[in-house]
Formats: sequence, C-alpha cells, structure tokens
Amino acid sequence: MDGLKRVIRTPLGVAALTMLVVVLGLAILAPWLLGAKAATIDTNNLLALPSSAHWVGTDSLGRDLLARTLVATRLSVVLALSATLVSVTLGLILGSAPALLGHRLGRLVTAIVNILVAFPGLLLCLFFAVIFGVGQVGAVFAIGLAGAPTFARLCHTLVAGVEERDYVAAARIAGGSRASVLVRHILPNIAEPMVVQATIGAGSCLLTFSGLSFLGLGVQQPAFDWGRLMNEGLNRIYLNPLAALAPGLFVIMAGLAFNLTGEAIARIFNVETSGSWLASGVVPSQPGVTASAHGIARSDKTVLSVNNLTVDFPGVTPVRGLSFDLHQGEALGIVGESGAGKTLTGLAIAQLIEPPGVVGGDVVFLGETLRSDGGEEQRKLLGTSMALVFQDPLSSFNPVRRVGEQLAEVSRVHQGMTRKVAWKRAVDRLRAVRISDPERRAEQHPHEFSGGMRQRAMIGMGLMASPTLLIADEPTTALDVTVQKQVLDLLDSIRTSEQVALILISHDLTLVGERCERIIVMYAGRVVEDLSADALPVAQHPYTRLLMEAVPTLATDLDQPLAVIPGAQPEPSIEITGCAFAPRCPLADDICRTSSPTLAPVASASGRTRNKRGLDITVQTTRMLLRLNLGGKSTPVHTGRVACWHANEPLPETSQLDDTSPSLPASTESTHDVDETVVTP
Amino acid sequence: MSRLTFENVTVRFGALTAVNDVSLDVPDGMVVGLVGESGSGKTTLARAGVGLTPMQVGRVLLDGVPIPKRGSAGRVQMVFQDPYSSLDPRMRVGDAIAEALPTPIARADRDDHIAHLLDLVNLNPAIGLDYPARLSGGQRQRVAIARALAAQPAVLIADEITSALDVSIQGSILNLIRRLQTELGLTMLFVSHNLAVVRYVAQRMAVMRDGIIVEEGPTAEILEHPHDPYTKELLAAIPGSHLPPKT
Ligand SMILES: Nc1ncnc2c1ncn2[C@@H]1O[C@H](COP(=O)(O)OP(=O)(O)OP(=O)(O)O)[C@@H](O)[C@H]1O
Ligand code: SF4
Ligand SMILES: [Mg+2]
Repeated sequence: MDGLKRVIRTPLGVAALTMLVVVLGLAILAPWLLGAKAATIDTNNLLALPSSAHWVGTDSLGRDLLARTLVATRLSVVLALSATLVSVTLGLILGSAPALLGHRLGRLVTAIVNILVAFPGLLLCLFFAVIFGVGQVGAVFAIGLAGAPTFARLCHTLVAGVEERDYVAAARIAGGSRASVLVRHILPNIAEPMVVQATIGAGSCLLTFSGLSFLGLGVQQPAFDWGRLMNEGLNRIYLNPLAALAPGLFVIMAGLAFNLTGEAIARIFNVETSGSWLASGVVPSQPGVTASAHGIARSDKTVLSVNNLTVDFPGVTPVRGLSFDLHQGEALGIVGESGAGKTLTGLAIAQLIEPPGVVGGDVVFLGETLRSDGGEEQRKLLGTSMALVFQDPLSSFNPVRRVGEQLAEVSRVHQGMTRKVAWKRAVDRLRAVRISDPERRAEQHPHEFSGGMRQRAMIGMGLMASPTLLIADEPTTALDVTVQKQVLDLLDSIRTSEQVALILISHDLTLVGERCERIIVMYAGRVVEDLSADALPVAQHPYTRLLMEAVPTLATDLDQPLAVIPGAQPEPSIEITGCAFAPRCPLADDICRTSSPTLAPVASASGRTRNKRGLDITVQTTRMLLRLNLGGKSTPVHTGRVACWHANEPLPETSQLDDTSPSLPASTESTHDVDETVVTP
Repeated sequence: MSRLTFENVTVRFGALTAVNDVSLDVPDGMVVGLVGESGSGKTTLARAGVGLTPMQVGRVLLDGVPIPKRGSAGRVQMVFQDPYSSLDPRMRVGDAIAEALPTPIARADRDDHIAHLLDLVNLNPAIGLDYPARLSGGQRQRVAIARALAAQPAVLIADEITSALDVSIQGSILNLIRRLQTELGLTMLFVSHNLAVVRYVAQRMAVMRDGIIVEEGPTAEILEHPHDPYTKELLAAIPGSHLPPKT
C-alpha cells in the first residue's frame, strides 16, 4: 500500500487513478441505475437527435444512447479484463514453463513464444475469431491468446532474472522441487512488474475488443459494448455523430485510465527496482562542464563539507551527527561494522535517502548546500561531479541489457555522446578496470559476468567520466585479493592523476588503512574516532584498537580462537544513554554508561605514558607497525579526534599482544572466554 | 563419513572452459581451502559441487557415490558470496531458515531451532520476523549461514562467506567454523581469496587459476614453500604487504 501512496503523489498518478475509479465506478453502478432506462423502448422517439431529454439521442428502437453508453461500461470492462486474464494466465504458464521443464524443453517453449511474439497481434486476433466463432466468448479468447506471447516473453525475462539470484539456488540445494521454488520464490518476486504490465495490457485489450465489436466480430445483439454502439452509431454518423463519438470517447478514456495507471506504477517501480543511481541522476560528469564550472577553484580546496549529518527513519536514527571535511584528491575511509550506518552516510551525502528517511544537518558539495528536495540545478551538479559505486553490483545492473550498453547510456544521457563514441568509451572503461577482452565482454549480459567482474564493471560505470568526488561503498568486498589490489590501484591512480576526492566505505580496516589518508571509524551511527591512517597503530579508541586485533594475518596463532569483540552493536532504534560501545567495552565504567563522550581532539600524542603497564604499549605498537608494514618509520602521531572517556588507556583483555609479555599472564584464557560467550547460545 | 570428491570435472560455458579437468578431494572432517583470482573458476567448481552448474565431463561423489541430481535434499549445502542476492526479499528471515530444515518440525520446536541458529551466527533471534530489506549486508550474510547450517549438511561449501563480513564478526564466524569442524567433524570446501583466513580454517588448500588447480597440499606447506609462480604472487598481494602510495 506504500506503493499506492506514492502513485498518488505524482500528478500523472492522480489523474490516471481518478479516471480508473470513474470507469470502474461506472462499470459497477451504471447498469443498476440506468439499466432500465437503457432498455426502455420508446417508439415515439426513434433515432432522435441529441436533445435535453436525450443528450446523445436515441437508437432505432428509441432507447437513450447516453444511458446505453454508460451501461455498456460494465460489459466493455469485464470483457477487456477477462481477455487480459486469459493473456496473463497463458503468459505466466508459458513464461514460467522453462523454469519448470528444465533446459531443453524450456528452450523449445521459449522459441515458440518468440515466434508468436513476432506475429502481428491483430492478425492473430482475427484468426482466432474465425476459429472460435463470432461472439463475445470467442473474442475474449482471441484477444487473450493474441496477447499471451507478449506476457509470456515478459514473464520469461523476469523469471530468468530472479532465477539468477542466490536465494533461488539456495532453495534448490535445500531440495525444493522446481514447482515449489517457482511458487515460493520466483512468482512473488515478479508479481509487481507483471501487475503493472497487466494493467497496461487491460487498456490495450479494451481498445482491441472495441475494435472487434465495431467490426461485428465481438459482442452480438442484444448485448452491447462500446464497440457495438459505435458500430450501430456509424450508420448515421452524418446525422448524429455523437451516437458514434460518445462510446468512442469512453473507449479512449477507459483505455487511457488503465494505461496511465500502469505507467504511473511502473515509474515508481523503476525508481525502486533498478535502484538506479543513474535514474537519480547521480553519474559522473562531463569533464568540460566540471572544468568550466569549477575550474578556477580546482586547487587545494574543500570538495565536501559535512556538518552534523543525521539520517532518521520513523523510530530509528541510524546516523547521528557526523561531521567531516574532504579536500580535493583526498582519500577518506569510512570503516565500521555492519549496520554502523556507513552506507546510509554515503547515500545521505548524495541526497539519495528515500522517504520516509529524513536527512538532517548540512552537506556542502563544491560550495553548494545540498538539499533532499534540491531542484534541477542540484541534480545537474550531482550528475556532473559526483559518482557512486555500490555495494550491490548485481541489482545495480539491468539483467536484460548488455553491460556495454548500460555503461554507454551514462555518457549518452549525461555527456551527450553519440552511441558509437559512448560505446567506445564503455569498452575503454571496461579495459581500465581490467576486464579482459572488453570488446566481447561489453556485448554480454550481467549474468555472464562473474561477481568480481560485475563489480569492476560497476566501477567502470562510475568512471565513465571524471567526477570530482567518488563515493565507493564496499567496491571490492566480493573480489579476490589480486583483483582487489588492481581495482584499488586503479582508484588510487585516478585519484592522484585526476585529483578526484574519494570516500572509500569498507568494513575492512586493513584495506582502508592502506588506501586512505584519513579514516573515520563509525560505531552505531556515530563517529568514534577520526584519525590519519598513519596513526592507526596508535589509535586511541578501544573499538578501533580491538578491530585492529581481530584481523587474522599470516602470523595469527592457529591454536587459539581469533579475537572477537563480544556482543553486538546496538540496534539503531534503541535510545542509548552514555557511550554506545559501553556494553562491549572492556574499559567501560559508570561515567561511560551514563554520559556520552563527545568527539574531541586527542589530548596529547603521548597520552599513553600514564599507563599502568608501560610495556604493553610498545609491544602493541610494534606489532601493529609490523602489520602495517611501516616498520622503520618513526612512531606515528595521532592528531585526530576521538570520542571516549578513557581514550588511550590500556585494554585489560587484550590477547593479541606478544605472549612473552610478562604483563599479560592470562591473556589467552580470556580471549577464549570472550569467544565462547559470543558464539555459544 | 562424508567425503566430497570432484572427479575430472570440466565445466564449459559456450567457448569458455571455466573448470578444466579438475580433481579435488575434500576428506571427511576436513576443511579444504580453495583460493584463486577472480574468474579462475572457484565459484563454478563450488556450484558444480552442489549441482547448480551442470558439468560437461566428470562427476561429484559424496562418500564415493555420485550425488543424485534430485533428492540429495541438502546433504551438500552452500553459502554464497553475495549477501544481497542470497535471501528472498519476499520471505521473512525465519521462514527462509525454516525452509532449509531437513524435516518439517512442530511450530514451537521450529521457532526454538531458528532462534538457536540465529544466535549461533550472532544475530538477535527477533530478527527472524524481519524481511531481508531491513538487514545490512553483514546481517544478511549471517542469515544465509544460519540457513545452510539449518539443513544439517554432510558437507558445506562456503563461497567467500567472510569477504563481506566485518572483521569483528569474521572472527567469530571463523571460530564457529573451526568449532563445527572439531566438534561435529564438519567437512567443508572453503572458497576464499583471503590467504590469512584460509590458513586459519583449512588444513589443506588448493590454488586455482584459469580453471586448473595449480597447486594442492597441506596449507602450512604451501604457504611456506609455494611452488607455483601464481601462488607466490598471491602471497605477495596479501593486504598488509602493500605500501600505500601516500602523497
Ligand atoms: N530504510 C530503512 N529503514 C529503517 N532502518 C534502516 C533502513 N535502512 C537501513 N536501516 C538501518 O540503519 C542501520 C545502518 O545501515 P547501513 O546500511 O548504513 O549500515 P552499513 O554500515 O552500511 O552496514 P554494512 O556494512 O552491513 O553494509 C542498520 O541498522 C539498518 O538496519
Ligand atoms: S567511553 Fe567508555 S565505554 Fe565508551 S569506548 Fe570509551 S572507555 Fe569504552
Ligand atoms: Mg553498507
């Protein structure tokens, strides 16, 4: 029902729905209210012209034509809907047959459907009308059958798209039969577009049906639909044009009502399903535009300034008060565990939070304050200067279109390139993201790409032009280490050569530490630490430090469980007093639980000298330095911000310190306990 | 006993040979790691193992017996790489897990079971009533793991299951996998690009490249004395051995 509300919000949607309600209302009510009048024979008034008593005149038996036209709504609509039902049912059966029958038989069905689709619909219709005989039942089947191939093809495409998804594979592995997988997993997921198509289809059925009746092949006396009335009115078109025009107008109105309603719903689904960053106009820029609009200020300047950013959903605040600046060509990493609000932060910056979500605070991009209701100008700014690469590459691509086409479209729409030039650019970008044989690959569909290739193609799409800011949300999460390195190198080189600022969102602290100059660590929607990457080994927040220790390396002790942070991040719906990390923090005390620490500049770089156990800092630091391969450099200094009452104090339970450290007698035991409490129910 | 054997498996997609005459043994109660670059055929081999991808040549045996096309009903389970595609958006999390339970069980037991499994993967059992759309990427992946475990499989094939997980949860999943292996004797093919992770969970490992297994043996041995040039390259590319090009 959420969808309905959104249909109503668009002008087209309102108009279409109003028309549809009128048509359906007439179909239900008119025969009741006007049925008698439409059937009343008045021999004194045969073939009357329009008058105040009979607005549209009367027919050869003196029956009121307006009443008859209104009453005809029911039969016209019912017949159109029946024909649609036949189309949809047959279409569903034919379209899902390949999923039921398996490869070989399925291909046969698909081939037949493809041939049928190529047949002219009206011809099929006339052909079936002759076979089924003249009459309304015959016509319903004729129109229904003629429409079926189109539905079958649509259904088949949709089914094929859903079949690609891993949950279908998982259901098959679990032993689900083809039929049960179809009913439980596939059909529910294609329902929405099918309903849209059926609504649009009902409009065309109505038109076709009127056509058949008009030709005398549809509804027969004494029944009457609009087509029939038009047929009867045609004889006297010069004497009483209204007699034919009135039903004609109704046909058009009803046809439009169905069609437009379908279109209105389709638009909304499109925005939702293709999730399209492109649909939202957020694509990279035409280099020329960026240069001319912002060319002068291109040197060392702030690209993005985020101030007290919040994201609210009803009852939930997943992002709370984020602030940071980003300079030209700078790489900022946002790390944090699942649900920390990283993705939402990226979306909020790009003004892509969808209602009922609300973005608070300020986002200033290239000097412009962005607003969620920003107009054409803002869309253009975002469209030309900000690019996004997403976490979810499969659903970001349209499954039925070639990869190359989809990349090229970005440049065609936003950079005005010709088809040919855009295609060349797409191939070039695919090559840039190290997809081998890019000419051939560009011709393929997304499902023919491996997960990693899809992700690289997605990055290629973000790089179709040269954006000023690139937001990459987990761009390499699904990639293996060699390709991950290549892709990150690619991002690095773009960043340095073209002075693109980069926000790299990742759950992987090691990766971000290597690739970014600055790191923001998020926890439960808040920034807990903001530090330069070099300072990671001397991170001060207990959360950051524990994360550093949880990463397995080639030196990890195989006999011990890995360090884990016990417990879980609090749900964003829970109101927290005090520090959000307190339930999981080994240093938590009463202050932590009652009052929330604010993000403040770190007190002093050598704060940890006050430690009770001076030794462990050096051990820990060395260890981390080794891990980051920074050994040999001077001890880094933390000049960032941290939100913790006990920043930089030693962690009592730390297990990853050198076992020889005399200050940690029971370290291994404690890790084990921690792990058990986490994993064992 | 539950031992998974790939016997001369070849998978072709049109002109492309994704997996080329691969034989691999996953011994009973052992975790075998499979590493290799993107597009090298790891996922294809894994999918062939659960019958999702048809093989042109070769067979997959469970305890020496070819796995029947139908009716293996969850004896070999798989967890996927992409958390966004692995859950049906129209199905509540709890129902998705229940669907994988080996035999239908009573409602009350069922809920207990689901709660237990969710707890096992460190999720709040209340999440069972949610639809996947509300879950973040990491949360979805944990649900997918719970669903695979629900089937009480003889062999588990895990395809990059930790690559989308946070380090904090990755640790507990890896610990969990090790515990399942030692306590239940779970047999597992563990596909991952992360050598440190493979080293941690797998006793044996295989390195794949261009559809061929280029090296196979005990994990420790391969990591210490890699023979194949590609394996050496992989070792060199581990995060942490790369210096950032900072300006
Ligand atoms: N439309 C929504 N309505 C309500 N809550 C939402 C919505 N979208 C996201 N959330 C919640 O907001 C929190 C942050 O989500 P977000 O996707 O930003 O996390 P993330 O840090 O990107 O996690 P991951 O690493 O798993 O991708 C989560 O708890 C999530 O459940
Ligand atoms: S404020 Fe307290 S509870 Fe929060 S991280 Fe710091 S020490 Fe831990
Ligand atoms: Mg995310």
